[in-house]
Amino acid sequence: MIEFDRVSKLYPGGSRALADVSFTIQRGSMVFLTGHSGAGKSTLLRLVMMLERASRGQVIVNGRNLSKTPDRLAPLVRQSTGMIFQDHKLLRDKTVADNVALPLMIAGLKYADIRKRVRAALDKVGLLGKEQAWPLTLSGGEQQRVGVARAIVGMPPLLLADEPTGNLDPTLSRELFALFEEVSQQGVTVLIASHDLALIREMRKRVLVLSSGRLVDDIPAGRP
Amino acid sequence: MLSWSQIRRKNRAWLRRHSYSFFSSLGVLLQHKAGTLMTVLVLGIAMFLPLGLYVTLTNLDGLNLHQDEWTAVTAFFVSGTDEAEVRRVADRLEKRMYSEKVIVISPAEGLADFRVTSGFGESLDMLEENPLPWVLQVSPQPGSTGQVEESVAELTAYLQSIDSIELTQFDYKWLQRLGRMLELGEAVVTVLVLLFGLAVVVVVANTIRLDVASHAEEIEILALVGAGNAFIRQPFLYTGLWYGLMGGLLAIGLLYLTLFYLGGPLGLLLETYGAVLTLHGPGGSNFLWLLLGGGLLGWIGAWISVQRYLNLLQVGGRLGRH
Repeated sequence: MIEFDRVSKLYPGGSRALADVSFTIQRGSMVFLTGHSGAGKSTLLRLVMMLERASRGQVIVNGRNLSKTPDRLAPLVRQSTGMIFQDHKLLRDKTVADNVALPLMIAGLKYADIRKRVRAALDKVGLLGKEQAWPLTLSGGEQQRVGVARAIVGMPPLLLADEPTGNLDPTLSRELFALFEEVSQQGVTVLIASHDLALIREMRKRVLVLSSGRLVDDIPAGRP
Repeated sequence: MLSWSQIRRKNRAWLRRHSYSFFSSLGVLLQHKAGTLMTVLVLGIAMFLPLGLYVTLTNLDGLNLHQDEWTAVTAFFVSGTDEAEVRRVADRLEKRMYSEKVIVISPAEGLADFRVTSGFGESLDMLEENPLPWVLQVSPQPGSTGQVEESVAELTAYLQSIDSIELTQFDYKWLQRLGRMLELGEAVVTVLVLLFGLAVVVVVANTIRLDVASHAEEIEILALVGAGNAFIRQPFLYTGLWYGLMGGLLAIGLLYLTLFYLGGPLGLLLETYGAVLTLHGPGGSNFLWLLLGGGLLGWIGAWISVQRYLNLLQVGGRLGRH
């Protein structure tokens, strides 16, 4: 699903965010990406979402070589990728339902279909009944789940999360990771950047460890 | 290859997105009444100025100024000249190259005409005999302005060489000046249309720029969840379109108010020149052009502003950075 082949990323000004990173993530698996801040986790996710281009090497996502994909197709790449952010990135002046509906509006679906699928997505994250609520009236955990609903509503084959538990307490974090696991069991590839090491260990999933832009460890699933 | 049903589905999705932006942008404008009103007022006035001048010119152009009479040289015979002599001169003139039309006005006809146009009817009755001389109105051969001037000069010289003619008169200069003024006016309209068209673009661009800035967060989120430039641009473009259309409508409204307000006093003024005033609006097709033009300019202004912002969100840009 995701293939990095000797990928390096240099930012203008010469700072090296990623150096010679190679790995493959199978379809339907759930993988954690960890490392200190500044290790290159965000850059790696930005490359998968085509927010950046690799300076060297190949990034292949869902069979598409992003290094050879023109800029104008970047929105298509992002449409087939659900993204969850640490700060939720919800629109404050739109209701929960309208926020979740955004990817479907962009795809131009019929209103009746949008409503149905928004309800289904909110049901999955346990927020049915909050459709007409405003994001700011929800707790941090609830807001994050709205973000998850928005990420999965378009049924993308790939889900990315950048420090999704950054603002959550351990109980809520555990709930969120359980939700991700459920999603991945339905065939969605899930890649989570996090430095919540205790929780990651608990999940017993594959873990990629970045340090100063290098992939220094690749812990297979099942190891505590 | 896309199948027909896929193309149809794509088209329908496209249409749904556009109809959504079309109406939601209008809704947003109507929500912010005060701001919208001010922008539309500026646009309306900017569009009214060239439109108003254009209408003024078309009305002046259409005034019945009896062009034939104005380009004619009038020759007054010495008082007491007999009709035979007048006819002979008229005959000779008609055979000359430069004169196209010769009208003979007898003293009686002249008096009757004067009685009608001057309003001195009753005082004229007190005259014992007709004091008016025989008059010839000779129109030179029509041609370009230069040729007319030349032929008028030669015609005048010829007329003055005839003993029985006492005086020649030519009012062509006045008409020429009016013509030149109208030409100048048309050039001014062109310049104004360009300048104020630019003003419309700039005003809309600036308004939309502020609009874009206040929606920066929303635009970023849209782009992150996969909205393309077209989708992000759409509501702003429709906002620009609405601004242009509303400005155009306001300009048309202002124009009719002005025509209504100025119609009375202007009619009275023109009556003193013997012209009858009927003010005409610019007509349906011109209105259509104004609205289309206004809408297009608004659209362009919005495009400029949004595009500048979208360029910042290119791959490798600042999108999604904290």
